[in-house]
Amino acid sequence: MIQAGKGARFSLSGALFCCVVVLLVLCFVSLLVGAGEVGPVRSLHALLSSGDGEARFVISELRLPRTLLGLVVGVALGGAGVVLQSATRNPLAEPGLLGVSAGASFAVVLAIGLGASAATLNLGVAVLGALAGCLLVLLVSQVRGVGDDPVRLVLAGAAFSGILTAISSLILLNDQRSADEIRFWIIGALAGRPQDALIWSTPGALLGLLILMPLIQPLSALALGEKMATGLGHHPALTRFGALTGVAVLVGTATAAAGPIAFIGLVVPFVARRLVGPDIRRTIGVSLLLGPSIILFADILSRLIVRPYELPIGVITALIGAPVLIAVVRSHRIPTL
Amino acid sequence: MSVFRAATLVAPPGHWLLSLGAWRVLLHRRGVMAGLGLIAAIALLAGLSLASGAAGLDPLTALLAAFGYGEPMHVFLVQELRLQRLVAGLLTGAAFGIGGCLLQTLARNRLATPGVIGIDDGATAFAVASIVAVPTSLAPSALALTGAATAAVLAFGLSAGAGARGYRFIIVGIAVGAVFGALTNLMLARADIDAANEAYPWTVGSLSARPALSVWLLGVGLLLCLPLVKYLGGVLNTMRFSDSVAIGLGVRLTAMRVITLITTVLLTALAVAVVGPVGLIALAAPEVARYLTGHRGVPVLCAALAGGALMVAADWAGRTLLAPIEIPVGVITAIVGGPYLLWILLRQPSRRLT
Repeated sequence: MIQAGKGARFSLSGALFCCVVVLLVLCFVSLLVGAGEVGPVRSLHALLSSGDGEARFVISELRLPRTLLGLVVGVALGGAGVVLQSATRNPLAEPGLLGVSAGASFAVVLAIGLGASAATLNLGVAVLGALAGCLLVLLVSQVRGVGDDPVRLVLAGAAFSGILTAISSLILLNDQRSADEIRFWIIGALAGRPQDALIWSTPGALLGLLILMPLIQPLSALALGEKMATGLGHHPALTRFGALTGVAVLVGTATAAAGPIAFIGLVVPFVARRLVGPDIRRTIGVSLLLGPSIILFADILSRLIVRPYELPIGVITALIGAPVLIAVVRSHRIPTL
Repeated sequence: MSVFRAATLVAPPGHWLLSLGAWRVLLHRRGVMAGLGLIAAIALLAGLSLASGAAGLDPLTALLAAFGYGEPMHVFLVQELRLQRLVAGLLTGAAFGIGGCLLQTLARNRLATPGVIGIDDGATAFAVASIVAVPTSLAPSALALTGAATAAVLAFGLSAGAGARGYRFIIVGIAVGAVFGALTNLMLARADIDAANEAYPWTVGSLSARPALSVWLLGVGLLLCLPLVKYLGGVLNTMRFSDSVAIGLGVRLTAMRVITLITTVLLTALAVAVVGPVGLIALAAPEVARYLTGHRGVPVLCAALAGGALMVAADWAGRTLLAPIEIPVGVITAIVGGPYLLWILLRQPSRRLT
């Protein structure tokens, strides 16, 4: 029986119910609206009865795959964010800020630059890159004084991402063919992905979640401190390593499927903690629902803001995420998780 | 009192005393040597930079051409293309170096450079806006200034409640920078392809797309700011003590802080309007200057020289390493400076800039 944590505003079941409702509504809206000419009313007709062909085509061939992909990516990033924060005990930890996404996208850029064609081995390569990024996070957090300071870890991640971005643009300069291929991918978007992206990213996300499932209990014990966790029969180092492997699989999958999308892993745990308190056993469920909600919300906005064009989804998530980052930093004392 | 007679004045150790009639100047020996060394380095780099390029002039021809001797074609090439580029590189590097030095000292944190706290991103976003929306030649500088000021005000204003802990202030800056980066992407996504291509160099940082007017504005701004900067260096040196000591020594803290910040923003914005966000120069140049001068005082002038040297060196490396492809100077500085940033971050346990 999990007790309601301190600072929880809602009961767990209530919060989960709200999240499910919000997510369903967003899925529905995501099917209804778009940047093109098929408006909500026409879409609704097409959904309810067998309406005109164009609307049905747009919904089933464009908006449905996009929504599903958003769900998978959101689940992956939301789960990765909450676990990464828990494993590093750092409320600022976020795959994008710590350089895990940068590792994944750099690996993909490198693979494409070396001649691999985009869609085929992206997933494996991205997971490997994310794993390298995670290992670096693990290493850096062992440096004296950095592991305890949430802010310095983030700065190190920013520096690391900066280096990888620069090397990526060097590769792009060298090779015009890959430049065209990558420039499209590196912005981060749910639209226009190859059809099979959904087919291989779903198992990837499931695998990552499977790795993380048995680690939730140890991670929750780790929040009490390393000694306490050891006393309770857990292995802190092993737990951390396993958690970061799972995070790498999730982030690699999401990055391979939709490009690097930052800030989701920061916003989701932040909101989840506000809803149900700091215990990861309570936040993980809410996060897995909140992740796709925020992704879909950002995606819907990205279609509507500059109609008839679309925005890269990363722009919207940055605009949502940066205020949250500032709010966390401004909070009187950064809580260690 | 005979003690104060001029004849008995002796320079303190490590200093030179220059006397010219009633005027006396006390020069810090190591600082002067550092400055001269940096000037020599700049001269060497300038020669290299003028002599290398796709046209394959030998160094002597290039140097002669720079002074107007030799074939008209060569003269045109060196004077109109390479010399302008060199001047732009020197000016931007100097501006970044001064800005970094001032802000680092003000925030008492060597990581607090204009690039890290988002001032560069703000200037870039607005400069891109000016290219995408208002294609006149004055606009990039003016708008970059607006953007840099906005970013600086946001970063300082939002972190006001976060206390004196320097690192939080930097994270707020990173967040502000992320917002402006997103805005830049937004504008590039909305613009038509030609405007986006024109604006692209700004987003990486490159000396190959420098608008002449922006270079002029930067030169004038730098010239006007130099005396002020030299003065601020002295004041900041006093402000490195605790606030109460500085107040006791007659420093008007708030006014000086505001003036320092304004100068930083001004110089950084003018430089970004020319070259784009090459923020790591602002991190490395003061570091080099402090090392060369033996960590004494606030070496703003040496930081300016070091910044110019680093920028020209990075640009030269970018042009020659993968020739005929040109690597933008921003990429070079990021690849070289990024690991250095990491090293500072992980190695330095102390928070204070001493």
